[in-house]
Amino acid sequence: MARLIRTEKEVEGRFEEVWIVVEEDPLEQWPEGPREVVGKPATRKSGPERVRGEARYTTDIRLAGMLQAAILRSPYAHARVKSIDLAPALALPGVRAAIGPGEAHGLSDEIGYSGAAVAAVAADTFRQAQAAIDAIAIEWEELEVVLDPDEAVRREQFTADPRRYERGDVEKALAQADVVVEATFRTQSVLHNSMETHQAICEWVGDTLNVYISTQFIWGVRDAVAETLEMPADKVRVVCEFMGGGFGSKNGPDEYTFVAAELAKRTGRPVRAALTRREESTAAGNRNATIQRLRAAARSDGTIVAFDGEFTNAVGWTGWNASTEGPMKMLYDCENVRTVTYGAKINTPPMKAFRAPGFVEGTFGLECLVDALAAKLDMDPLELRRRNYAATNEGTPISSKELEECYRRAEPHWERRHEVHSRSDAVWKRGVGMASQIWYGGGGPPSYAWVRIGSDGRATVITAMQDIGTGTRTAMAQIAAEELRLPLDRVDVVLGDSARGPYASISAGSSTVPSMGPAVRAAAADAREQIEDIAEQRGLPRDAPVHEVVDLLEDAQILGKGARGPNPTGMSVLTFGVHVVEVAVDVETGEVVVERVAAIHDVGRIINPLGASSQVEGGIIQGIGHTLSEDRLLDPETGRVLTSTLDSYRMPTIADVPEIVCEFVDKPDTHLTNLGAKGLGEPPIVPISAAIANAIRDATGAEIHELPISREEMLRALEAAKRKEKRGAPAAV
Amino acid sequence: MSELRLTVNGEEHVLDVAVGTSLASVLRDRLGLTGTKIACAEGHCGACTVQVDGVPRLSCITLAHTVDGEVTTIEGLRDHKLIDAFVRTDAVQCGFCTPGQVVSAAALVAANPDPTRDEIKHAMAGNICRCGTYPKIEEAILTWQD
Amino acid sequence: MELRRPSDLAELDGGVFVHGGTEVVPLLNDGLLSAETLVDVRGVVPRGVHDGVIGAGTTLGELEVEPGIPDALREACRLAASPQLRNMGSLGGNLLQATRCWYWRLGYNCRLHGGDRCHAREGEHREHAIFANDFCASAHPSDVAAALIALGARLRTNRRELAVEELYRLPDEADRRTTTLENGELILEVELREVEASAYLKSMDRKAWSFPQVGVAVAKVGGETRIALAGVAPIPWRIDGIEALDAATPLPRTEWKLPVARAFVRRALAQLG
Repeated sequence: MARLIRTEKEVEGRFEEVWIVVEEDPLEQWPEGPREVVGKPATRKSGPERVRGEARYTTDIRLAGMLQAAILRSPYAHARVKSIDLAPALALPGVRAAIGPGEAHGLSDEIGYSGAAVAAVAADTFRQAQAAIDAIAIEWEELEVVLDPDEAVRREQFTADPRRYERGDVEKALAQADVVVEATFRTQSVLHNSMETHQAICEWVGDTLNVYISTQFIWGVRDAVAETLEMPADKVRVVCEFMGGGFGSKNGPDEYTFVAAELAKRTGRPVRAALTRREESTAAGNRNATIQRLRAAARSDGTIVAFDGEFTNAVGWTGWNASTEGPMKMLYDCENVRTVTYGAKINTPPMKAFRAPGFVEGTFGLECLVDALAAKLDMDPLELRRRNYAATNEGTPISSKELEECYRRAEPHWERRHEVHSRSDAVWKRGVGMASQIWYGGGGPPSYAWVRIGSDGRATVITAMQDIGTGTRTAMAQIAAEELRLPLDRVDVVLGDSARGPYASISAGSSTVPSMGPAVRAAAADAREQIEDIAEQRGLPRDAPVHEVVDLLEDAQILGKGARGPNPTGMSVLTFGVHVVEVAVDVETGEVVVERVAAIHDVGRIINPLGASSQVEGGIIQGIGHTLSEDRLLDPETGRVLTSTLDSYRMPTIADVPEIVCEFVDKPDTHLTNLGAKGLGEPPIVPISAAIANAIRDATGAEIHELPISREEMLRALEAAKRKEKRGAPAAV
Repeated sequence: MSELRLTVNGEEHVLDVAVGTSLASVLRDRLGLTGTKIACAEGHCGACTVQVDGVPRLSCITLAHTVDGEVTTIEGLRDHKLIDAFVRTDAVQCGFCTPGQVVSAAALVAANPDPTRDEIKHAMAGNICRCGTYPKIEEAILTWQD
Repeated sequence: MELRRPSDLAELDGGVFVHGGTEVVPLLNDGLLSAETLVDVRGVVPRGVHDGVIGAGTTLGELEVEPGIPDALREACRLAASPQLRNMGSLGGNLLQATRCWYWRLGYNCRLHGGDRCHAREGEHREHAIFANDFCASAHPSDVAAALIALGARLRTNRRELAVEELYRLPDEADRRTTTLENGELILEVELREVEASAYLKSMDRKAWSFPQVGVAVAKVGGETRIALAGVAPIPWRIDGIEALDAATPLPRTEWKLPVARAFVRRALAQLG
């Protein structure tokens, strides 16, 4: 029965209260451990199409008569358009339409960052559109530019009110503690750099707008476009069958979609608006830089008694104030915690969610601080973490937490450090470091799926979700196959079109499997029950194979439907893990080599161990880039992005990949849905930078305070450690 | 516009194309071979990799009129054993860079059927994968003959 | 735009030369270079290695597996750029590549582009020069150039012969170019000397596909030890010995390059034996 409830909805660590209709979820969870299909490695449903280059991405769609758009972007970080003349653009060959500030959502004459969209042109070819953009006559009034987040905080220039939190009495705890450590950590801005740039093709068919878009959230695009254009939501159809990476940056429609829609309307032709790589590096979002001024205090027995943190998120001109303080509040059992989080509004490109926003940055600071505390207490870092284990989430019960089991499984990797140290020499110092992971990943309602079974005994799962490259099609097919007792190759998944399936969750916040999986299982169970009834009527056992039951149905079909049930009330649904990293540091040149990463994660039930290991490897590799080589640099004078090309913005190559060992606790969360499965997209990127920095400390004694750990930062830290050692060493006799 | 003669995957084409047009544009927009992807359009990422006479090149910064040899794109490698190896080892996530990876890998194994891990890392370093499928790509190339 | 494909040197008559296209094509697309006529010179530039003479049309990919060349050059080729770029890029073209300075590449009106300031000096310069950086702080990106200078190699063009070092000049107020190549001049061959031993070491911020933060080439040639660096000055930079690094004039955010250069010069010299 459908039930109306008011519930807390979480995406990327942001909570809101929503009214939703949920359906009961009466299915019992499957027992723990691998099943016939679920829990066993499966290759990707769409693997052959993708590998053979047959998969059609937004960039590959060619509609008849399609025009190409180009967008004029501000060269100034803070400016006002005094006047603009589109006529010279319209006069150029191939140009079909031009629009200026206010004529499409996202085109503005009040500019807050270099790269913000001002005007757009549609032409027969992209080169013609670009030439037309260059021809637009525009007069600017430059305004004062603020790029320094600390300066913005001083001026109280915020994107949202500062967020303050306190439990216990931090001042008192600090005063009474045996040991206090204090450090300032800085993390840089990094770019998602999805291989397929942000892009959309818009086409009007009657009063319906078809939007082909590279997105993580078909329904979010549909709703946002409909709302902005004041259209009935069902008059917007959103299609995304394959997309080339998002990592949090493709959760909504953005200016290029509205530009394409408006230009398509004006020209009566389909219009593609696709960002170039340089636009992608500027205007498509980023992980914002942070400054974290942190203190931790403990008793000499290792009990952590206080955390104190001042966090500044360099948000940019727009964007949200991610929960950089989250790990400090949630990871350890600490009575006294005080945090303040500022969202600095500065004249830099806007942040967007990027794979565990806030927690990646906050875990770097916190887990480095905890190792500093361990060093000062002369205590084993693993032991210190265990001693301050949090059984609840700030007093709220946790639906399932297997972090202790992760620690137990980390022991053999942690034990390797003696052998690792012994491989150090005068130049290359080796060490081992660890860091823990906490993050969300429980998903939530609403989400729906249909299952269709034909007389050939094949099943099709239908839901208007998207597969962003994480292996969603495969996981959903496995769940349906398991429930229907069908071999995996008899199940297909149809997705990617808001007009051809029910509402489905966003693929962000590690929520696809925990949100969609239970709905798919429910739909399959609905179909299975119908098949069992037919079996009974045919005099077959209820569990007879599907194809034997349905073979006389001819064109009749069995249709099942299912919905995602509610999350457990009064409980926090969280994911956990630990990374143990081995590094080598060349102490003369500051080169850091990550040699081995052991990653142990607790995300409830694992649906596809093969795909899951790929997620973990991918998160770790992206995190190694964040830790060692990626850095979005701005010109300090103009605020322009300098590293807008992939030769200067350096993401890891295959040569940068260490040995990665990946383990899962694989224990269903008995409180969560009919699956007990949580999301895994984000957890693996959360602890990696702190684990690397802690391994560097173990190898060299150098304390890392900044990402990326460039040679410059590494040499600085080594130099500082040398000075500290000199100061601390007893005078020579 | 200027005449362009191009042999792609064994098929000859005669086209009229402006000088300065990239090979990638010709493949995608004139010949409909959209398996070749463009991700940076300036020679930095490897998504557009094709072979010319068996040697991997970046089609996005190759002027179509300067191509002398035979072009092989992912569409010409669809029966290669590497395809199965990539699928079997899960060497594909979003898949956008994957055709380029396969084209590079096919040239590697043609020259060196049993490459070591180091040789794979050296030969494949020009194909950026943002999803981080690298360990699986290495596995796929190590086991492509299985 | 028109494309010419001469088969004889005598047919050369103006235009912008293109060989592998890895540098010229992106610069054309970015509007940093303009051409009415493109000249595909692959028909007139020799390719291959014969008796210590390397055709300037030989690709870096061919050279990285060429046993008949000194270690420093082979290693410089092996560590350069990406595999596809090495397959495309020619030896001659590599010597003529422009800086990776982001201000220059993004078209800022900097001194190298004829303007009146070096944006990097006051701006982001962490990858820039530690020598000769007063006028322009750009860093020269060619691994191969440093190797050839250390090896004492000479060039033959369609007009003259010269030492590789003589190909380069520091830009100044009157002349912003970083090479001495004249209009219409084309590098044809590189001539190597007898080399007793050589090595090339390179600092990168990822393990592959990076331009040199610091590249160090050393060679023993005719009893003389020669050292040349990449990534430390607007042109490839020759030094007499490790102590010459004391004379560096790093910018605030390029000081880190000095200890790296010191360690690499020391290690490279040790490799020579």
